[in-house]
Amino acid sequence: MKNIWIMTWFTLREALARKVFIFFLTISAVVLVIMAVVLGLSDKASFTMNVSGGNMQFTNPINMIEMMIVSPLSGLCLLLAIFASASFVPIMLEKGNIDLLLSKPVSRDQLLWGKYFGGILVVLINIAFLVIGVWMIISIKFSYWDFSFLTIILVITFTFAVLYSIIVLLGVTSKGSTLGMMVAYFIYIILSPLLYLGKDKLLVFIQSDFIKSLIKGAYYVVPKTQELMGQITKDLASGKGIEDYQPILTSLAFLILTMGISISIFRKKDF
Amino acid sequence: MNSIAIETSGLTKVYSSSFGKRKVEALTSLSLNVSTGMIFGLLGPNGAGKTTLIKLLLGITFPTSGRANILGEDITGYKMKYKIGYLPENHKYPSYLSGGEVMQFFGKLSGMDGTELNKKIDELLELVQLAKWKKTKVKNYSKGMMQRLGLAQALLNNPELIFLDEPTDGVDPIGRKEIRDILVELKNNGKTIFLNSHLLSEVELITDRVGILNKGILLREGDVKEMTQNKEEYKISIEGNSIDKLDDEILRKASFAKMNQDYYSFKVENTQELNKILDLLRTNGIVIKEMLQQKNSLEEIFISLIKEADKEKAQ
Repeated sequence: MKNIWIMTWFTLREALARKVFIFFLTISAVVLVIMAVVLGLSDKASFTMNVSGGNMQFTNPINMIEMMIVSPLSGLCLLLAIFASASFVPIMLEKGNIDLLLSKPVSRDQLLWGKYFGGILVVLINIAFLVIGVWMIISIKFSYWDFSFLTIILVITFTFAVLYSIIVLLGVTSKGSTLGMMVAYFIYIILSPLLYLGKDKLLVFIQSDFIKSLIKGAYYVVPKTQELMGQITKDLASGKGIEDYQPILTSLAFLILTMGISISIFRKKDF
Repeated sequence: MNSIAIETSGLTKVYSSSFGKRKVEALTSLSLNVSTGMIFGLLGPNGAGKTTLIKLLLGITFPTSGRANILGEDITGYKMKYKIGYLPENHKYPSYLSGGEVMQFFGKLSGMDGTELNKKIDELLELVQLAKWKKTKVKNYSKGMMQRLGLAQALLNNPELIFLDEPTDGVDPIGRKEIRDILVELKNNGKTIFLNSHLLSEVELITDRVGILNKGILLREGDVKEMTQNKEEYKISIEGNSIDKLDDEILRKASFAKMNQDYYSFKVENTQELNKILDLLRTNGIVIKEMLQQKNSLEEIFISLIKEADKEKAQ
């Protein structure tokens, strides 16, 4: 356990050395400052009235304000995190680097888990900074302390954890970062939203039963980043709780399977 | 304590290309024993399999067949690595860390922590003369400094067995001498050192035993002194007159005799014959100033062995 923590801690150091995470923290900080200034100058009643006319179905307009700020920034955070973390594993596997790590009394599993948790910890810190910042400013302004909003930190981090497991797997197999990054972006931006739409709305236009089953099957296999970052995050933010656990459970199964394969390959790999 | 530090038996490594079409035998049925408390040098041209052997012993690469033990433990586990230090060839350290932080990272991975680790880091950085560079980022280190940091890193956990792959690569002559002195001191403190190097003259200076590897095959292994001594060939330096008149008589005792500028060289079957020649010289009033047993350099032996092996393979 100690070795995993050491690897995790030094992965965090590696992340901080890359300017991407600092860049995101800076963006978050700037947004929080602007938000604090704007909210400080506004009148409570008029502000909530203006924003509650939107099409997001929130029972509480305060949650809606929070989500309006967190949603785009957390999406940006994931995009940046995929980019910045894609090289964590390939760099570890470089000649001269992996030789040293494997010569230490650390198991291969511990090395990989350390890198995995390190990447997740970085995103957790970034997201927590943003979400807690937004939540505190809003809560102070409106004297409304809804702790359930904070649970979205876990969902957004979990979404990254699923995508990062693909990056780790492709990093271990290809020893490069490009493939993992491309596949993660493809799933996050294209495949998951497409399958989410496809399983209900697009199926009516398809005649072939085979293709229908293929789309439905793919929907259950591919991680559901669309629902995780969309409906589930929104439900949690509005305090409704999670209505359907299927996207979380199937994504978790995908994560476990992907990491299982990664570890199995890494255990046997020659360097 | 186990008296054998490294023990391999029939260790073989075959590398296959992605689809298994091309196979390269990097190491062929290598059986080798290295005793504790010595400096063992593994020599060989590029691609001989030297690094592959270290990687197999450290679990960085897995053997195709055969087995190996390190300090009495099978190489398949990783717990024995608590007793091992390693300096790889072309090692890389995270560029965003300082020398001290690199040591912290690897020290912690070696199971050390707290005051014990900090004390050891200071002590080792002092030893390799990097103490004043402790807080400098390693990206600003020269090749020689990186190599010295690598050595310090390899010694962090006070290992019983130290693997060094080209430890003096990129280090200036003074630095090399300092590294050699450190290695000899480590040996005197009971450590076992396994050294891979191209610098044969350097290896000859500090190693107790060497192995010569070529194309994955161990051509020869033995004591450096025994290997470099050409037992039956002697050189003598004489005072005054030439000994030409004794040539015939000497040649009856020696298989070869030759006068070079200042020395008279001859080859004998055994020490009795040697003494007979010395008696002959003395009884003829020839004053012997000096007598030397001929030595071959490790480089000469290495080159002749490699050439011989390549010739045999070609036939």
